[in-house]
Parts: sequence; C-alpha cells; structure tokens
Amino acid sequence: MSAAHAADPKPLEAILGAYPAEEASLIQILQDVHRAYNYLPCDVLATVAKTLGVPLAKVYSVGTFYKAFSLQPQGRTIVKVCTGTACHIRGAAQLVDELQRKLGIKPGETTPDMGFTVKTVNCVGACAMAPVLIVGETYHGNAKAAKLDTYLAAGEADDAD
Amino acid sequence: MSLGKEMGTQAGEKGGRMLSLSVDGKSVQVREGAFVLEAARAAGVEIPTLCHHPALEPYGGCRLCLVDVTRPEWGGWCKLVIACQFPAEEGLLVHTATERVVETRRVVLDLLLARCPETPLVQELARRHGIEQTSYVANPEPTDCILCALCTRVCDHLGISAIATVNRGIGREVAPPWGEAPPDCIGCLACAEICPTSCIPYETSEGSRTIWGKTFEMLRCTRCGRAHVTVAEADFFAGRGGVPRSYFELCDACKRKEMAATFVKLSRGAAGFSVGA
Repeated sequence: MSAAHAADPKPLEAILGAYPAEEASLIQILQDVHRAYNYLPCDVLATVAKTLGVPLAKVYSVGTFYKAFSLQPQGRTIVKVCTGTACHIRGAAQLVDELQRKLGIKPGETTPDMGFTVKTVNCVGACAMAPVLIVGETYHGNAKAAKLDTYLAAGEADDAD
Repeated sequence: MSLGKEMGTQAGEKGGRMLSLSVDGKSVQVREGAFVLEAARAAGVEIPTLCHHPALEPYGGCRLCLVDVTRPEWGGWCKLVIACQFPAEEGLLVHTATERVVETRRVVLDLLLARCPETPLVQELARRHGIEQTSYVANPEPTDCILCALCTRVCDHLGISAIATVNRGIGREVAPPWGEAPPDCIGCLACAEICPTSCIPYETSEGSRTIWGKTFEMLRCTRCGRAHVTVAEADFFAGRGGVPRSYFELCDACKRKEMAATFVKLSRGAAGFSVGA
C-alpha cells in the first residue's frame, strides 16, 4: 500500500461531485480517477468506496478486473505495443526490443523518472496497419523501430500539459 | 435487465402459482420463481453442484449442474443450461443425464481437476464421473480454491464484504483489498466454514484468532471461559441490532445448557399439571 505519498484530493472532489453517490457510478468514477491520477491510488479508492457506500473489497475487485485500470503509479506517457497476430508477424518484437534499449524498461515497467510506462497489449483491431504502436492517445500505424524517437517525443509533448 | 425484473416479480409472488414440469420423466411441482435445480431435487434427481448453497443467490460459477431442457413443441431441439439459474417453466422437460450433458460435465470436471489436481473433493467428483487424471496439463501450482465464490458471497450476504475476487482470467483469486488485512473483516469464519474444499486458512488459539492476515481478540464465555466469538463479531452484530450484546456473553454450549435447565425448571413447576394430556 502506498499510503506514504497520499494522492492530491482536489481532482477527486471534482470527480465525486459529478456523479450521483451510488454503486452504479463506480466504473465511471474509476475511469475519471484513472485519467486524473494516471492510476488508482489506494487512499483515493478508499474515499470512493466510502462516498458511494460500496464495500472497499468490491471497489478493489472492479479495479483489478479491468485491464484499463492500473493500481501501480504509471509514467506520464503510456506506450502500448500491439502484439496481436498481425503486429507480431510484422515486427512488434523489434519495437519492444528497441523500446527496452531506448528507455531501459521491459513491458509492464515504468522509467524511474516516471516519464514512460511500456505495455504490450493484445490486438487493438487495427491489423491493416500493423505493427501498431500507441503513444499516449496517438496511434502509429506501420510503426518502425527507427522512428521511435519521433513517436516518443511527440507523445511526451502531448502529455506534458 | 428485463429478465431480472421478471424473475424478481416471480420470486416476489411466493406462494402463488405452482408449475408442473418433468425431470427425467418424473413429473414434479415447484412454486413459480423456482429454478430447475430445485425442481430436480424435489423430483429426487441428483445433480452435482459445487457453487450452490440454498441460503445464497444462485451464482452459476461451477457449471456442473448442466442439464438439457426442451419442450414438446420444440420438435426434438433442446438446449444446454445450468440448472441453478434456469427458471422452471410450466411444461418444461428436463433431462439430466443425456450423452451431451454427461460429456460436457466431464469436460468441466476435467478442467476443474487440471486447476485443482490435489483437491480430494474435486478428485472424488471427477472419479465418480470416470476421470482418474486430467487430460489437460495439471496446474503446476496446485490450489484448492475452485473459485466458487461461496466465501465472498456469504461475506456479502452477512453485510460485511471484506473479501472479493480480484484480478481476472488465470490470475483470479479470492483476496482482501491489496492483499492486506481486510479492514471490514470481523473474523466470523463464515468464509472458512462455507468453503467446500476448506482452503481458507485460519488459526484460533488462546484468546486470539487470525484469518486473512488479521488478528482478532476473542470474547470468552462468561461461564465456561471458552473463547467462542471475536470481539469484532459480537460488536458488529450487536451494533447492527437484532441481538443484544449480552447474547454473546455465553457460548453456544452454555446457552444450550441454560436452555435445558430452564426447561427442567418449567416442567417441574408445571408438574402439578399433567403436561401432554
């Protein structure tokens, strides 16, 4: 539990104020929390559970069920490499290798400066433009390992604000 | 959504209409809103289950209670459903031992045995269905948990919800939030006692009990001194109302003794009258 660095409660207040305090709002709230904090902080989940009157175990259960939620702090920019069949064939592995060489992290890890988190994901449904690399919210089709610097710089600029 | 509503109203109309259906050729009557499993049991037909408990909502987790259902007007077509969650219907024909049912159930048991290769309950059930060894790759990290969720459901049912299933897919397990001592747990052992494979570890020793990594102080029976419930459990149920805190002063055995003594006293007091005449 990372109670050591308590999360800023400000964004949470705004999020909780935007939805009715009932169980049905849980996933929407978790999505907004994830967007605001880039992960689901432990103390924030406790506040969400209390406000909605949902048991903490249920909130944790939902938070761990969906791949879209992370319980670990993540980098400012999330880099996803699609490793679906088409992307795999067209060189997703090279993208992963190159990312590891450039950023020094394996899939699922975050750079020490909290700049980037690298993940591999299964098919994102854009097989025609394989291999696909997603940096922040931008999809790069026919991604090339040689162009990684450009992709990362653009993603970093997007996520800076 | 609409189905849930419909079923809700059916269940709400308890004592209403009775439905007649047939299970393996035996005709049986159940109240409206009952599920096929209940009908089968009323007909004396045995259907194996692992996640079913009469005190809890049907869950449909173990998939062992598969049956074939059909209707005369379906012209021989039938569908595979789970008996615990399929509502009984007037005129429904249920077949619990067709070749398809037996085969599918064997696949389910085979998979369950692959997950829990060392669990006696699963081994026994599999053996009864003719499976000595799983045909899949046995779990290299054998577990006794069959993910029937009886533990989490009973915890919810008591209004505690200290544990839940976490993660998904092969990583799914029953755990408290963040794997740490659950703040809401009252140490009542309902989860450990309902577990069909007894795979939830706990320890009750002199004056304390540990479960899910949380240690509880025990309340001792004021008569025999046995540590019988956790202080947290007594506080929880007394705080919720229904029973006074003093209810937990005596353990169950001493309560029975006291009750027996009361009966003796009453019968002696009433000795002048002829009881039972």
